[in-house]
Amino acid sequence: MDFKESPFMYAIALFVVAFVISQSVFFLVKSLKKAKELGIPKETLKTTMVSSAVFTVAPAISILATVIVLANALGIVLPWIRLTVIGNLAYETTAAQTALDFWGESLKHSVGDTQQFATIAWAMTLGSIAPLILLPFLCKKLQKKIGATVNKSEKSKKFGDAISAAAFIGIVMAFVSREIYSYTVQKTNVLDAAGNSIVNEAGQILKVKTITGSAGLMSILVLVCAIVFMLILDIICKKFKLTKLEPFAMPIAMFAAMGMAVLFTYVLPENLVNHTWFEIGTELAKIYE
Amino acid sequence: MQKDYFDRVHKWGILWNIGALLTLLCIPVAICSYLNAWPEIDALLSIMPKLMGLYWLTAIVEVITYVPLLGPGGAYLSFVTGNITNLKLPCGLKAMEQAKVRANTEEGEVISTIAISISAITTTVIIAVGVLAFGATGSLQLLTEGTLAPAFEYVLPALFGALAAGYILKHWKVMIAPFVVGVLFLAFVDPTMGAGTLMFITIVAAVIGVLILNKANKL
Repeated sequence: MDFKESPFMYAIALFVVAFVISQSVFFLVKSLKKAKELGIPKETLKTTMVSSAVFTVAPAISILATVIVLANALGIVLPWIRLTVIGNLAYETTAAQTALDFWGESLKHSVGDTQQFATIAWAMTLGSIAPLILLPFLCKKLQKKIGATVNKSEKSKKFGDAISAAAFIGIVMAFVSREIYSYTVQKTNVLDAAGNSIVNEAGQILKVKTITGSAGLMSILVLVCAIVFMLILDIICKKFKLTKLEPFAMPIAMFAAMGMAVLFTYVLPENLVNHTWFEIGTELAKIYE
Repeated sequence: MQKDYFDRVHKWGILWNIGALLTLLCIPVAICSYLNAWPEIDALLSIMPKLMGLYWLTAIVEVITYVPLLGPGGAYLSFVTGNITNLKLPCGLKAMEQAKVRANTEEGEVISTIAISISAITTTVIIAVGVLAFGATGSLQLLTEGTLAPAFEYVLPALFGALAAGYILKHWKVMIAPFVVGVLFLAFVDPTMGAGTLMFITIVAAVIGVLILNKANKL
């Protein structure tokens, strides 16, 4: 049996799952209790919970899809553990590749050496724990400062609301902008004919910077579809006073836009579907590092 | 009253935080003990400065950015469960907007934490069920290669498009400045800039926009 997918590895994963769920349930119960004290209507709490669960389904499935990106090299259990606590694909891939660089290996091959696997597990963990060390020191201070500002701006509620909305809108617009014009790059090892990394006399590994993703016609179309669906649903909810549907408008708009992505892919000409501002796969630079 | 509740949240958060830290560190220890294989010190000394230089600095920025937006309860939970920018943050923001509450008020804190805890439970269960049910058979490949693959490839524009639309009717004037500045920055300065860094610029643009609109009485 592959050591990367042994029952012991699964046991570790299930322990981590149990921890994450216990912490979430703890905060959920405490918050619900406080909400009751604050007099927040039961209906608001119910819709918050149900709409958050529905909203989460599609992104969670896309996270599940990223587990398999790393499964080829690391087996399915370690990526599962890592994407359950703290992790995200970009970080885990970088951490695993940086670790494998030490031996001149690549993520394209399955890791068969137990010591390399153990080193990757340590690298992924030690590189990602910083927020958990910082939070106990910074969280309270930050919350007190922001809390004081928020309460001060109560004097001018409309202005305070606008500043608060501005921060939210600023975040959302950062993501929206990236769907309109951006690209992502990834550094990978250049392999020789035998599939080994190329190392120079100074021990540096030859890396190639490649465009791995880019905004383009499809990302803009899906973005516009999501906006249009959401606006239509919002108008329908308000016009027909469908208050129960309102919390689900956002997940419905999101699913509908994702459905349109599938439709566009099969209906539009291939050159339009694949049209991106930057050609995916383009090699930008080769460097020893 | 407010002080009491937030203080309690910090106490719980720190305790769970320590628990998470111990759990996380136990993972490689358990793997090493089981495999009877420990990492080479030389390897770790070579690998860790590269990773820590990159990710520990990012962590400082992330903590400073997300705590004010998610509130302490949401932040303690989000930093343990991960996937903040693509899931926990939009989920928390959406819930607070729908419930018409503001972050860092008691009501905002409660709603944000409820939304993020439900989101964390849902994600954890979906990933666990997906891996256990389909991982061994290799059928998870369908998510990246099958008919529905484009749906998951474009989950981010679908998510943030729907989220942005929620603000269009109420705050369309406030959206102009961060949108224009964000796109121009990507087009003329750095198209590879990640959303985590770009949001600093777009938040500043949005706040300046609000100040100008407020001065002109057009808010």
